[in-house]
Amino acid sequence: MVKYGLFLGCNIPFKAPDIEQSMRKVFPPLGVEPVDMVGASCCPAWGTAPSFDKGTWCALSCRNMAIAEELGVNIMTGCNSCFGILSEAKHFMHDPEVAEEAHELLAKAGRTYTGSADVYHITHVLHRDIGTEKIAAAVKFRQDGLTVAVQAGCHVLWPTDAMAIKEENPFFPHMLKDLVEATGASAPHYSRIEACCGMGGMRTTSVDKSMKILAAKLRSMKEEINPDLIVTGCSSCYMQFDQSQEQLRASGEIDFTIPVLYYTQFLALAMGFDPAQVAAISAMDRSALIAEIQNPARAVQEV
Amino acid sequence: MSITLTKEKITATVKIITEYGGTGIFKCVQCGACSAVCPSIKAGFPVLCRLLIKKLLIGQLEEIIEEPSSWACQACCRCSEVCPQGVKPQEVVFAFRRFQANELAISTASTTSLIDLHATGHAAHTTTYRELRAGVGLPEQPPTTVSDAKGLQEVQTILENCLMGELGFY
Ligand code: SF4
Ligand code: SF4
Repeated sequence: MVKYGLFLGCNIPFKAPDIEQSMRKVFPPLGVEPVDMVGASCCPAWGTAPSFDKGTWCALSCRNMAIAEELGVNIMTGCNSCFGILSEAKHFMHDPEVAEEAHELLAKAGRTYTGSADVYHITHVLHRDIGTEKIAAAVKFRQDGLTVAVQAGCHVLWPTDAMAIKEENPFFPHMLKDLVEATGASAPHYSRIEACCGMGGMRTTSVDKSMKILAAKLRSMKEEINPDLIVTGCSSCYMQFDQSQEQLRASGEIDFTIPVLYYTQFLALAMGFDPAQVAAISAMDRSALIAEIQNPARAVQEV
Repeated sequence: MSITLTKEKITATVKIITEYGGTGIFKCVQCGACSAVCPSIKAGFPVLCRLLIKKLLIGQLEEIIEEPSSWACQACCRCSEVCPQGVKPQEVVFAFRRFQANELAISTASTTSLIDLHATGHAAHTTTYRELRAGVGLPEQPPTTVSDAKGLQEVQTILENCLMGELGFY
């Protein structure tokens, strides 16, 4: 079994542990073993060290990566911000000035960074190492007939120069679409497929402005493909879609809501795992959707 | 009100931005490709990408220190991806943000995350996570700095010895 260090970040283990559980459930049957990175911290988030000092950012990120180096594994993470922060820190370590400051701080903390661990997003591992055929074969409930609006999230798409695996054209991403379609569902293109959801610094700075671009994205999904659900590859996008739609409906910005799942939650449900463990925490009621995903009529017949 | 351009101010501004990481700023030809793809400009935060670079290149720095746009940057790097000049505008935005932060022109949200990062190793820490985790069948504590004293100590050592340590947040 291929081992990957599972980098959790903050939002997934503290606010959406059902996403963490879904990752822990789906990977082993697909031949990938997630290994705990004991003592890992925040990546560190964009609003913290990266907003003050590049060397400190890199020291904190490299301390996390050094944990994987010691374990002899590459890293996978389900949070796009963590993926972006770690990938870029790795990239900046080629700048001698930044690297000098980071190495000095790491030495004080008793850690050494060599750069031997690669950083991947979980969709990269699913798409490249596991592959859509294997995913399709592991699905216990086929999702044919369901229409999904995919939301890959910004940090897994750009900047391509800092990533080991990239989309052919990040403005027309297809990895998440392929992964969703491996379950039998369809994930058609819509015009704002690459658009930002408005989470992150934008939301912290102005909830109103953040909600406006979220509403524009939701309307694009609804009018163009009328999806049964949204599937995100980013835990922050997931939280934005889940927590903000009711508010947008209440204020009259939208007159519909679309339930949302993080990709490994969607896959875990399609693989037959218990919704009480893998898709249990949400602001929106998605019980009807979950029942439909695990509808006995969708069960794959054993031959 | 007109803006007085002085060579000294321009040089000093570019030097500060370059030192904070915006090393490509001089290569900008003001084409606006970056602004066209920027989600935060679309959302209504105009002083990013081309416009921010313009302001900096005419030596406006202290004048715009309270500008909130830079804090609304998503760090998505669409701008850096499309820039035909290799400016990496996102790095200019973050360099300007670092200038603001080190002059303490920051929001209370950032201050809280820094305090949490130092205290727990996590910027987005919550008080309710144990029940949530147990509820979905996971151990109450994740295997991170919240349950690993040595790891937390290492994070604190970095935070206390770095340049940010002098700003007095934690
Ligand atoms: S795309 Fe590049 S050259 Fe054009 S305005 Fe933006 S930073 Fe300047
Ligand atoms: S990185 Fe920031 S400035 Fe650049 S496109 Fe994204 S939000 Fe705009």
